[in-house]
Amino acid sequence: MDRKVCVVAGGMSKWGVRDGSQRDFFQEAAKACYDDNPLMDPKDIDGLLVASAYTERTSYQTHLAPLVAEYAGIKPKNICARVELLCASGSSAIILAYAMIKSGQADIVMVAGGEKLYTPQKWEVFYSELASVDHDWDSSQGLGLPPPVFAMVAKQHMKQYGTKKEHLAAVTVKNRRNSALNPKAQFQNAVTMEEVMSGRMIVPPLTLYDCCPITDGAAAVVLAVEEKAKEMTNKPLVYVMGTGQASVNNMSANMPNWTTWEALKIAGAQAYAKSKVSPDEINVAMTHDCFTISEIIEMEDLGFCKKGEGGVFVGDGQNDFGGKIPTNTDGGLLGCGHPFGGTGIRQGIEVMKQLRGDAIQQVPNATFGLTHNLSGFIAAHTVLIYGKEVR
Amino acid sequence: MSTPGISILEGKYMATMDLFPQQSKEFNQMTPFYEHLREGRFTTTKCKGCGAESFPPRVMCPECFSVDLEWIDWPTVGTVIDVTEEMVGVPLGFGKPPLIHALVDLQGKKTFFVRIINCNAGELKSGDQVRLSVFDVDPVPQEVGREVVEIPRVFYAFEPVK
Ligand SMILES: [Zn+2]
Repeated sequence: MDRKVCVVAGGMSKWGVRDGSQRDFFQEAAKACYDDNPLMDPKDIDGLLVASAYTERTSYQTHLAPLVAEYAGIKPKNICARVELLCASGSSAIILAYAMIKSGQADIVMVAGGEKLYTPQKWEVFYSELASVDHDWDSSQGLGLPPPVFAMVAKQHMKQYGTKKEHLAAVTVKNRRNSALNPKAQFQNAVTMEEVMSGRMIVPPLTLYDCCPITDGAAAVVLAVEEKAKEMTNKPLVYVMGTGQASVNNMSANMPNWTTWEALKIAGAQAYAKSKVSPDEINVAMTHDCFTISEIIEMEDLGFCKKGEGGVFVGDGQNDFGGKIPTNTDGGLLGCGHPFGGTGIRQGIEVMKQLRGDAIQQVPNATFGLTHNLSGFIAAHTVLIYGKEVR
Repeated sequence: MSTPGISILEGKYMATMDLFPQQSKEFNQMTPFYEHLREGRFTTTKCKGCGAESFPPRVMCPECFSVDLEWIDWPTVGTVIDVTEEMVGVPLGFGKPPLIHALVDLQGKKTFFVRIINCNAGELKSGDQVRLSVFDVDPVPQEVGREVVEIPRVFYAFEPVK
């Protein structure tokens, strides 16, 4: 019998420059997740996957999953482990939870992810980021989680396709307008096109507003097999339909193409094929807007617009409400912030709410939703497709 | 060396806080790469089985999985495709802004995204030539038996050909 997998609850802590520790935020996220679905008994959760990338560096804590289980008040019996793929840790954990439930290895799995990135001295997080790309070959060139990489991507995309600074800015204006309405987001204020265009230069052409911030926070979702999900919630069921995750290189010297992300095309194709959904059927998307140029290329390589037309597409508002594919409706990384292990889960929560019909800013009649992360030196891409039905 | 807030680490070396790779044979089998750098050579491993030239250098060929590899020289001069200048957020250890990087075509071998040194802001442009530049980095105080021996290290960037 084919087991189907649903998302039955999700919640997150407040994200931002937070007072508190990693374990504090995991408790806040678990509480928000439990409060999202009062019909669910957290004691029924039989598995836990924890997503965190910098736990060893910024919290000096490995073996994190049993710690989170203890604080979240659950006693897993089928899986209790941590998953790490930097910015895609959360999405990776959701994929594995989905696979465990689908295969019958577990029935109800919590996926919790988050980070405490700020340390008592700020230099340390930038320094720790040198662990994020190939340490011996790229980090040692002064590349951590590197704005220079995405500045180079932006310059090449501008050169090849005529993408403009205004197109980059349109992404920020949209995502910051959305985050201003999301009380959990790091940035609670919208910004104007003029403010973004005159922002402080980080790495030309990227200004402060083109880069997502450093963020503390956590998020959690619960996935359950359909039979149990039906008894666990009175909200519309949201299914995981299909997933893809691809890597074709790690070190920068082996990147096949700077402006067409091959691994994203592969991960997207896998997710679309397994879900039996095509790009033009997706109603809402959370894509990895770590930098504005990323969202533009993701529109192209996920098949929402033609290659090279991403700039004009976002400039025309085609990935805003009322456009072809409303994207980052909760504020994305640019607005919500980016505690690495939490991000994929935050995206899953927003898609779950959009498909249930109870999002803060609702896309009318959303049936299919997509989440995407890139991670490292654009070295891996992760795509999940959710739906109100499975095909 | 003192470590404020953690007095017991006074004078201790922490590999987990080191921005450059370990280069001694006890901690890295790619030691020849760094020895070649000292001679001004930019080298990598070539597979004797299938001829694949991989970078970074390897223990095993990722194409045919042979472990019969040899060190070969690659060009030390390349052509700049484009340049970035990081004004804010330069990690500790990489000097004062701007931190300059360039996408460099190493004569068709690979396209490297590398740090550019000995170069003023605004100086480097697409089409310019850059060459390998090797510099000393802090030695590692490594335990050898009961002694602590300073193991010297080098690393590389590129610089404009003037
Ligand atoms: Zn070979």
